[in-house]
Amino acid sequence: MTQAVAHAEGVRPGRVRVRPGQRRARRREGLVGLGFLAPNLVLMIGFLFVPIVLAVQLSFQETRGFGDPEWVGAANYETMVQDPEFWRSLANTVLFTAVTVPIELAAGLSLAVLLNSVLPARGLLRTLIVLPMVISGVASAMIAVILFYESNGLVNKVLEAVGLGRIAWQSEGAPAMLSVMLVAVWLRLGFNMVIYLAGLQAISPELYEAARIDGATRWQQLRSITVPLLGSSTFFLLIMNVIASFQVFDVIFVMTGGGPSGATSVLVTYAYRNGFLIREQGYGAALGIVILLITLAFTFLQWRTNRSRDQVG
Amino acid sequence: MARTMRRKAGIAALAVTTTALAGCAGFGGGGGGDEGDDTLSFTTWASESEQLALEDLVAQFEDESGATVELNVVPYEQMFSNIDAQLASGDAPDVFRVDYGNLGVYSSQEQLLDLSDAFSGDEVDAFTPALWEAVSFDGAPYGVPHQTDVSALIVNLDMLAAAGIDASTLPTTQDDAWTWEEFADVAAQLRTALPAEQYPFVVNWQQGGTPRWMSWLFQAGGSFMAEDGTPTIDSPEGAAALDFTRSFFENQWVPPTSTPAGTVYADSLFSEQTTAMAFVGSFLVPDMDYFNEFEWTALPMPRDERGATDLGGNALVATAETDQPELATEFLRFMVTEEAMSTFCAATNELPTLTALEGDAIEFAIRPDVMPVFVDQATTIEPEDVRQLTSPAMAEISVAMQRELEAAFVNGQSTEETLANLDAAIAEASGS
Repeated sequence: MTQAVAHAEGVRPGRVRVRPGQRRARRREGLVGLGFLAPNLVLMIGFLFVPIVLAVQLSFQETRGFGDPEWVGAANYETMVQDPEFWRSLANTVLFTAVTVPIELAAGLSLAVLLNSVLPARGLLRTLIVLPMVISGVASAMIAVILFYESNGLVNKVLEAVGLGRIAWQSEGAPAMLSVMLVAVWLRLGFNMVIYLAGLQAISPELYEAARIDGATRWQQLRSITVPLLGSSTFFLLIMNVIASFQVFDVIFVMTGGGPSGATSVLVTYAYRNGFLIREQGYGAALGIVILLITLAFTFLQWRTNRSRDQVG
Repeated sequence: MARTMRRKAGIAALAVTTTALAGCAGFGGGGGGDEGDDTLSFTTWASESEQLALEDLVAQFEDESGATVELNVVPYEQMFSNIDAQLASGDAPDVFRVDYGNLGVYSSQEQLLDLSDAFSGDEVDAFTPALWEAVSFDGAPYGVPHQTDVSALIVNLDMLAAAGIDASTLPTTQDDAWTWEEFADVAAQLRTALPAEQYPFVVNWQQGGTPRWMSWLFQAGGSFMAEDGTPTIDSPEGAAALDFTRSFFENQWVPPTSTPAGTVYADSLFSEQTTAMAFVGSFLVPDMDYFNEFEWTALPMPRDERGATDLGGNALVATAETDQPELATEFLRFMVTEEAMSTFCAATNELPTLTALEGDAIEFAIRPDVMPVFVDQATTIEPEDVRQLTSPAMAEISVAMQRELEAAFVNGQSTEETLANLDAAIAEASGS
C-alpha cells in the first residue's frame, strides 16, 4: 500500500519524508475537508443510517409503534415468505419496473434528440416536458385521478366522444396498472430528457460531420455515434429509474391505493399499508428492509457489470 | 490567506449544520403538554362546519376556564399515523378525537387517560348506554362519547321518478322501512330504467368504512364475535348477508369501482348522479346539501330480521401521559355538556350521545327535514352491536374483512371460503 502511494506520487520507496510543517498543513486540510463534509455527514447519520439501524431492529419486533414491543426474531421475515400479498406486490413492482424503465429511457432519448435539434419554440417545449418534475408527485397524481376517474373522468369522456368505449381504469387490474404506468412515465420523462440532453451536448459535432461525409444515414448516426457515446448517461439513468421504480409510492398511493383487489399494490405501498394503516410496524419495517436490499443488490450488480462505469461524468 | 478562508469556510459549514439541526428540533409536530400550566393541545380532523363549531366551543371553554386550548386541525388521512408517531415519541397532544373503532386500540395499550373518577354514576347514566360502552375498556372509561352518526339511504328523487318510482310510496320510518326483498325490487327496477353507466345505488363501505358491511350482517340477525372473542360470522346469517351484498355487484346494482378496497367514495358517486341512491352518514348532509344539484331525501336503511346501521361518530380522549390531566378532564367534561353537545350537533348535522338530547331536542342547521330519519335509524343500534364494533381487535378485523369482501365481490371467492377466512381472521385478531 505504501509502495503504491509512493509510486503514485512519483517518489522512490524509502525516500518518503514528510516535514512537520507539511504534516500540520495536511491535518488542517483534513479538518477543513471534514468541516465541509460534516453537514451532510451529520444529516445522513441522523436521517439515514440511524433510521436504517432502527428499522432493522423494528423488523425483528411485533409492535404497533406505541405500547410495549415484543421481540419475535425472524418471524416477520418468515411471515413474508408465506404471504401471497407480498409476492404479488413484488411481482407488480418488477412488472412496473420492466415496463416503465425502457419506455422512460427510449422516450427520454427520443425527446432529447428532437429538442437538441433546431426546432421552433424549443425552450418552451423543453420547459413543458420538464415541468412535471417540479410539481409535487402527490399533486400530479391528484390531477391524474381527475383524468382517469372511471365514471366521468376526462380520458373516458374523450374516448366516448370519439366513439370508443369507456375503460375501467379504477375497477379492473390491467387498465389500473396501465394508468399508473402512464403517469409515472409522464412524471419521469423530463428528468431522462435533461440528462440525455446534457450527454448529447458533450458529443463533438465533428463526429456527426465525419459520419455524414462517409455517407451515414440519420439512423446509422444515432445507432453508431449517439447511443454508444451516451452509454454513461444511459447507465446512470438505468440505475436511477430502476431505483425510482422500486420505490414508487406517491402516484400509486393517490391514484389507486394499490387496488383494485391489489392489482397495483407494489412493495412500498404494501409496506406503508402494513406499517401505518394496519399498525403492523414490525412487518412494515421488514418489508422496508427487503426493498432496501433489493435496491442495493441491483445497484451493486450494475456497478460490477457495467464496463463503461468509469466514463460516467 | 487561502488557509484562513478555508478555515472560515469550515467553521461556517459547521455553524450551518448546528443551525439546521436546531431547526430539526421542531419535527415532532405534536402539541405536547409542556407549553405551560394552563395550555392544552387538542388535535382533530374536521369538516368545515365541524371546525367552526369546535373553534366556537374552544373559545367558550377558554373564556370560562381561563386556560388556552391549541386547536390543531389535521387531514383525516394523516390523523392516526400522526397520533401513533406522536405517542411513540412521547409528544402526543393532551386531547384528541378518535373514532370508536380506533379507540379500543389505544385504550387496550394503556395510551389513554382513565376517566373513572371524573364521572359520577348519574353522569354516566346521562349517556346512551351503548355509546358509553363504546369508550370503555375492561369497565373503565377512556374518553367521552362526543357525537355519533349513522348511515341511512339517501335517494335522488328525479332519478327515481324517471324510473317510475312514486315518491309518495317511499318509506319514512323504521316501521315502514323496505325489507331486503323490497329493496332488491327497487334496485332491479332502477337497473332496468337506468343507462349502463348509471347504477341503482352505492354502499359506503370503502376503505376505513369497511366495517359498515356489518350492518347487513346485523340486519340478517347475525353477529361476528362472541363476548369471549370466539368468531361467530360463519353462520347461516353470515352467508345470507354475504350472498345478498355480493348480488349487488353480480346484478350491477352498484358501480364496480365501489368495492370495499375502492378509492371512490359513495357520496361522490351519488352527487355526480352516477347512482340513484346511496348509503351515507348524517355528517355528510351539509356536503350533500351544498353539492347536489337535484332534489334528494333520506330513507331508512332496509331491514331483514331486524333493522341495523353502522356505529359512526367519534369520542374525545386525553392521553395517559398528558401533563394536564385535570385540565384535560375538565375540557372533556365541558365538551359533553348538554349545551356544548347541542351546539355542536346542530351545526354539524351529527347526532348527540346524551339521552336528554335524543329525539327532536336538537334543531339541525341544514336540511332539518331529513334528519329525523337518521335520528330514528340510530335507535336500531343495539348494545351487542356496539360491543363487537368497539373491540380492540376491530382494526385488525377490518383489514381482513376488506381483503375477504374484495375477494368475494370481485374475484368470485365462494361464500364458504370467505366466511371461513373471516372466521380465522377474527379468531387470530381476538386471540381466541
